[in-house]
Amino acid sequence: MSLTLINKPGKPWSLSFGLAMFACLLLGTSIAQDELDRPGYFEVRSASTRLVDGVHSLDARLQLVLSSEALEALSSGVPLTIELQLEVIRVRRFVWDDADAELAVRHELEYRPLSQRYIVRNLNSGDQDSFATLYSALNNLGRVQGLPVIDDALLDADKTYRIRFRALLNTQQYPAPLRLLFFWRDQWQLKSEWFEWLLER
Amino acid sequence: MVARALKRVSYTLLAATGVGLVLVALFLLSRTAQNSEDFDRLYNVILAINIAGVVVLFVFLVGNLWRLLREYRTHVPGAKLKARIVGMFVGLAVLPLLVVFYFSIQFINRGIDTWFNVEVQAGLENALKLSRAALEMQMRQHLYSTQQISQRLSDVSERQLIFELSMMRRESGASEITIYGGNNRILATSSDSSSAGLPRPLAEEVLLQMQQNRPYVSLDPEDFEIHTAVLFTYRGRAEPAGVLQAHFPVTERLGRMANSVDSSYREYQQLVYLRDPLKSTFTLTLTVVLMLSLLSAIYGAFVLSRRLVAPIQDLVAGTRAVAEGDFDTRLPNPTRDEIGFLISSFNDMTQRLATARREASLSQALVEAERTNLEVILARLSTGVLALESDLRIRTANQASGAILGVDLENRAGDYLTDVATGQPLLEQFVDVAQVHLNAGETEWREQIVLRGEVGRRVLTCACTTLPGDESHSAGYVIVFDDITALLQAQRDAAWGEVARRLAHEIKNPLTPIQLSAERMRRKYLGSMSGDDAQILDRATHTIVQQVEAMKEMVNAFSDYARAPDIELGRFDMDKLVHEVVDLYRAQESGIEIVLTSDPTMPMIEADIGRMRQILHNLIRNATEALDNTDNGRIDVHVSAAEFDGVDVVQIKVEDNGPGFTEGSLSQVFDPYVTTKPKGTGLGLAIVKKLVEEHVGSIRAYNHTEGGAVISIRLPINEAAREATITKSPRRADKRREKA
Repeated sequence: MSLTLINKPGKPWSLSFGLAMFACLLLGTSIAQDELDRPGYFEVRSASTRLVDGVHSLDARLQLVLSSEALEALSSGVPLTIELQLEVIRVRRFVWDDADAELAVRHELEYRPLSQRYIVRNLNSGDQDSFATLYSALNNLGRVQGLPVIDDALLDADKTYRIRFRALLNTQQYPAPLRLLFFWRDQWQLKSEWFEWLLER
Repeated sequence: MVARALKRVSYTLLAATGVGLVLVALFLLSRTAQNSEDFDRLYNVILAINIAGVVVLFVFLVGNLWRLLREYRTHVPGAKLKARIVGMFVGLAVLPLLVVFYFSIQFINRGIDTWFNVEVQAGLENALKLSRAALEMQMRQHLYSTQQISQRLSDVSERQLIFELSMMRRESGASEITIYGGNNRILATSSDSSSAGLPRPLAEEVLLQMQQNRPYVSLDPEDFEIHTAVLFTYRGRAEPAGVLQAHFPVTERLGRMANSVDSSYREYQQLVYLRDPLKSTFTLTLTVVLMLSLLSAIYGAFVLSRRLVAPIQDLVAGTRAVAEGDFDTRLPNPTRDEIGFLISSFNDMTQRLATARREASLSQALVEAERTNLEVILARLSTGVLALESDLRIRTANQASGAILGVDLENRAGDYLTDVATGQPLLEQFVDVAQVHLNAGETEWREQIVLRGEVGRRVLTCACTTLPGDESHSAGYVIVFDDITALLQAQRDAAWGEVARRLAHEIKNPLTPIQLSAERMRRKYLGSMSGDDAQILDRATHTIVQQVEAMKEMVNAFSDYARAPDIELGRFDMDKLVHEVVDLYRAQESGIEIVLTSDPTMPMIEADIGRMRQILHNLIRNATEALDNTDNGRIDVHVSAAEFDGVDVVQIKVEDNGPGFTEGSLSQVFDPYVTTKPKGTGLGLAIVKKLVEEHVGSIRAYNHTEGGAVISIRLPINEAAREATITKSPRRADKRREKA
């Protein structure tokens, strides 16, 4: 046995095998999950700000469609975190624009099997609601009404500001091995495009 | 050397750092596997470190493999051994690692699968259904209660509404009952908690149900409170007045159990969901560990093979260097093991070889120096030295031997002397004499040999002795010989000069008194005598005076030969001189035709003009005297410039059509007092030869094939030519010194 290997040092078949296995593992378990084909998407339908008592408040409508893998995780009791990100950016003429304020509102969506209801929990405020259907839960999540963004006094009156807003599925709360796997899965990379508009003063 | 050491140290440090990092990463991996928080925080870092380690090791391995392949193809010494060691290590490492890897993966996968039991799953699902059924039953009851409350309240007036509501809440066991009017306006509310604030507005889903005129019941997922809602209508009115919503708490025990079932089911489902990622994670970790171990083992095999083979490669290189003659090779000896002992022995060997070679080179250089000295001495020696093998092959000969014997012996080493002598009269005679002795078994002999050649005889003194033989040469002979012709000639010339001087002195002195006496007798007695006496006296005194004159001439000739005034060199036109002398003889009208062939463009010659004139006089007179008894005598005088043996010379040739030299006298024609003519003193050609040799020239006498004698003279045209002639023929210098 050993003689055969000694005479053929230039054939590291074990190396190739290991590498192939390593590559397969890195690329994920796509073969086992071919049937889960709904990609899902997040989209900002509309967004605007209005000045109410010196505070700019956000009104927005989002369409949140979960992917099959996210739905499977949700139905398996894994809570999903949907994050709404908003940036107030000062427009500058000659240099890069600068983000003056950033706001992130995280909501946790969870399914309770006993009550068969979906819980939407605002992780920033701790408020929560329960919904009989996923549709109503996502509908509730996708309706932002009067969310305070920034005090107008904090903004420079002479400057122009633009605001951009998006929603994404946040996977940071999961254990690292899961995060590593989710990183390579498109169905876990749910993220809307930035929706931008100029701040009206 | 320093750069190589630095490179080696840096490689070692790099490898040590890599191994250290990998070990730390593996240690952390084992630590973090036990602590989920650490695991979560460090997992990616550790994985990145390990993957980086795998990549670095892989790059190193590819580099090493490439180098090994290159060495193998170019047949670098030790490459095969290195490949064999690496192959052996790879074989030994790969198989067990793969077996361990396979079983570990299997063990982990099956271990994880065993966590999820089908019965547990079914039990949990049943528990969930049971809990759900129990709660649903309560929900139906509470909905019914709510509907009853709504009907009972429909008859109550608005003023009594709050009172009745509170009473019914207590009766039904609800924690809160609220009646909402249009726009979520609260018409009446009752709660068992005084601290509770205002009831929350109706949820959308409640409103949706109410719009469809359907009752609403739900279970709060957090505290399992049952929420019910129905339309509230005052009796007798067609339109509902609002919505009655009631909250019913479940019993604490039921709530606790429901909560437990709910959380257990959720956690189990989460675990089921995480099963595959968990397997993948463990497989990934194991694969990385496997790769690290495998690549480390292979890299270790390369390092080990290199270290094992390096001294052998050094030895091979050193052996090749020694084979090519480089004995100064010293191999580094970093180890004290058997290979180190081998290298140490090799170094000792090369050192001894180097010492031996140095000593041999020194000895050889000394021998070469001695040989060179000997060659220089032999080359400058005017004595001929001829070394022969025992079979008479020439071993070596110096330049002088060739010059004396008229053959280039110096470049005929290895040839048989007898072969070289063929066609060479001088050498043939020399070989004959030598062979006589050697054939007689005489190896030590000494003899004076007279060789006869075209230009006269040569007298050689020879001495022969035996050469001792050695490993490379058999015994041979060395013959040392010297041409003493010139020496004998000089001795003879000196003797004749002395004789001439004494004769002149002794004879010339009495001649004048004899002549005076005879003349006096003639004057005194001739007049007084008569007849026959007077005639006798006249004839006798006349004879005496005439013979005395003749004797005087002879004595003067002797004096001329003996006298050797200093040579006075000067530049003159040879052509003109020859014309002058020849014209003098033509004017004598002796009946001999003298034909002169001369080159008027001939360069000026640097010589003693008096001696040159004497040479021409003697030659023409000698020819004239030789033609005394010849009819139609003719003398041809040729004078021309030429280049002979690289030296510019003036060639003078005097030919006559007389009887020529007799065969016996030809070899001694230039000796004094040798003459074939009745009138000659025998000094003419001897003087000519003497004068020519004073000018470092050469003279030759021979007969024409059709009759007549020829005297040919070559004279160097100037001092430079004379020096060149001397350089080419050192014997001339010796002769010149002897004469001086």
